[in-house]
Amino acid sequence: MLQAENTLFTIAVIGYFVLTVLNFAFVALKKEKLSSAAFFLQTGLFILHTAALVLRGIGAGRWPMTNQYEFATSFAWALCLVSLIFIRKYRFPVLGAFSSPLILLMIGYAAMQSREVKELMPSLRSSWLAFHVSTAIIAYGSFGVAFVLSLIFLFRGRIKEEGFWGQHIPQPEKLDMISYRSVCLGMLFLTLTILTGAIWAEQAWGSYWSWDPKETWSLVTWIIYAVYLHLRLRRGWKGKAAAWFAVIGFICVIFTYIGVNTFLPGIHSYA
Amino acid sequence: MKRIGKFLSSMPFAITLLVLLAAACAMSSAIPQGATWEQYAVQYGERTAGWIVGLQLDDAFHSWWFIGLSAFLCLNLLCCNLIRLPSLLKRVRAFGNPEKMISANATAEAQGTGDPQQMFTALRMGKPAGRKTGDGREMLFSAGNRAGFWGAWICHMGILLLILGFALGQMTAEKYTVYALPGQTKPLENTGLTVRVDDFRTERAESGAVQQYTAMLTVSDPENHTVESGTASVNAPAALFGYKFFQNSVGWGADVTVLKNGEVLQKDSLCAGEYIPVKDKQELVVYLQAFYPDYVQMTGMSPMTASEELNNPAYLYRIYYKGELLGMNALMSGEEVTIDEYTVRFDHPRNYTLLAVKRDRFTFLVLLGGLITLAGLVLAFWVQPRAVWAVREDNGWHVYGMNRKGGALFRDEFGKAAAATGFTAADTEKGGND
Repeated sequence: MLQAENTLFTIAVIGYFVLTVLNFAFVALKKEKLSSAAFFLQTGLFILHTAALVLRGIGAGRWPMTNQYEFATSFAWALCLVSLIFIRKYRFPVLGAFSSPLILLMIGYAAMQSREVKELMPSLRSSWLAFHVSTAIIAYGSFGVAFVLSLIFLFRGRIKEEGFWGQHIPQPEKLDMISYRSVCLGMLFLTLTILTGAIWAEQAWGSYWSWDPKETWSLVTWIIYAVYLHLRLRRGWKGKAAAWFAVIGFICVIFTYIGVNTFLPGIHSYA
Repeated sequence: MKRIGKFLSSMPFAITLLVLLAAACAMSSAIPQGATWEQYAVQYGERTAGWIVGLQLDDAFHSWWFIGLSAFLCLNLLCCNLIRLPSLLKRVRAFGNPEKMISANATAEAQGTGDPQQMFTALRMGKPAGRKTGDGREMLFSAGNRAGFWGAWICHMGILLLILGFALGQMTAEKYTVYALPGQTKPLENTGLTVRVDDFRTERAESGAVQQYTAMLTVSDPENHTVESGTASVNAPAALFGYKFFQNSVGWGADVTVLKNGEVLQKDSLCAGEYIPVKDKQELVVYLQAFYPDYVQMTGMSPMTASEELNNPAYLYRIYYKGELLGMNALMSGEEVTIDEYTVRFDHPRNYTLLAVKRDRFTFLVLLGGLITLAGLVLAFWVQPRAVWAVREDNGWHVYGMNRKGGALFRDEFGKAAAATGFTAADTEKGGND
């Protein structure tokens, strides 16, 4: 099983690289057919990546989201899923061109981690693990897409309406709304992550909140996105300022995931 | 007073507080919490250490300024919800009232000779009710998802409840730790209860990795002659006498025997880090500093254990007399140490359990607050109050749509629905989202 997972993962890494090249070719050559091919390739990669995760879970005999490698590959999977949903729902193929490098970066980071399957420590042997980590992955994937959308929003201000970009990127107001929807999805799942984590921590350690660096940075991320949601309600702040907060929010997400494990060890140090 | 209330409930105040709280959390996570001035001085220098301790950054999450910021946030949430309530109620009532909707600015408009009923269906609206406008024209009206107006309000209430539950828990919760070897009974601090560890088991996988720790406990109330028993495992605490017992950690301990002139004087059990005075010479103290199940000693390095298996057990002991160190060394299994007429030996090494014991009557409030926050977010994000109404005109129907949160996306949806049902959408930029 794990051998098969290894093979599928390697194919996925190569596939995401090809996807990124294809998306770059689409925006460079401005050929619509390439965007359709990229969408189909991304759909195929998503199915393949899902199969790899399922095989990993069967091979490891547990939910495959417990170490840096598993979380990173799941993060890339969620980015792929959420971007596919948003590309399809809002008929926005250029989103793929901006999101595929991020997916490639994340799966590249996963490829650099140890893929060894280790036994779980007793505190991780809980049914809450599945809820807690799955919701975190969807939240991170949604925030990743919101980050990409916000970058597109900031980039959109510099382009001409009549050109390729003007035709393929929605109007600022609509773009802002799509980004907002992505943040909403992320915010809901981040709240669920914090809640399920608190319930689990209460069961495992008798403390639902310990100000552990990971918990603290999840709260910081939650607050940054709460500020984003409030800023959008104020005249003059909607748009550019809110987009910058979505960018800062995703930097917090990345710090919570990678930075905290590296620089601020705590009770989440295994994650 | 009104101005103060307005300021306290204002959004700029809320945003300022949120940014300050985020910055405070981020900064505090970078500074080790609970260290001493000396430790900070070594790490950051004396001057910075002074600032850290002076500003309570060493215990930031319990500092006056962090509690102050949180209290202001609560005040902001409360004032915001109280002040917004009348206008919110008014808005909710108005949203279901066709007379009021006519005068309101529509988010989207379309005109045509198609069947307006199809437009209502395409926009996923309920069956429209027939009305007459003020000037007697035929009108169809449907409004829904009014619960969405309450999203932010409910979310604020949830957060308020959550912070309140957390604060009350911090002030009133009882928290203890107790550790004991199997067979030992320990007092539960000043509760009057005693905890006996009847048994302590470690489940291992074939690879040797620990899968579960389980402590069988008996808690007694000697005054009331009542006894309760339960099992505490990792992720499955025991609930006894209103307290929750969490299997938190493990350590090593052993039996200690003190002989005097070859005769057994006393037998006891010690966890690593514990000491006992000798029965007939209280100034003489035996201290089990550490236990190494698989002892390794390399030149120039501190003693260590190669594994958690009992392959080469060693007891690191110290013996004090009147506070003065008489001797310290590592005793291997079966070895003894003799000082004057006293001989000390350790045997039967085994794991002790470290239990976290807690009683927090407000945890449910935190959970409830969290669930309410979640419900508020769902309402705020996904339940979009929308109204659609169609007014008959001389040359067909004029259809209006209003979505309090959809903005551009609703106009898109409205335009598509119009195109699919024989209407022509007007170009309008009105409306927005909240």
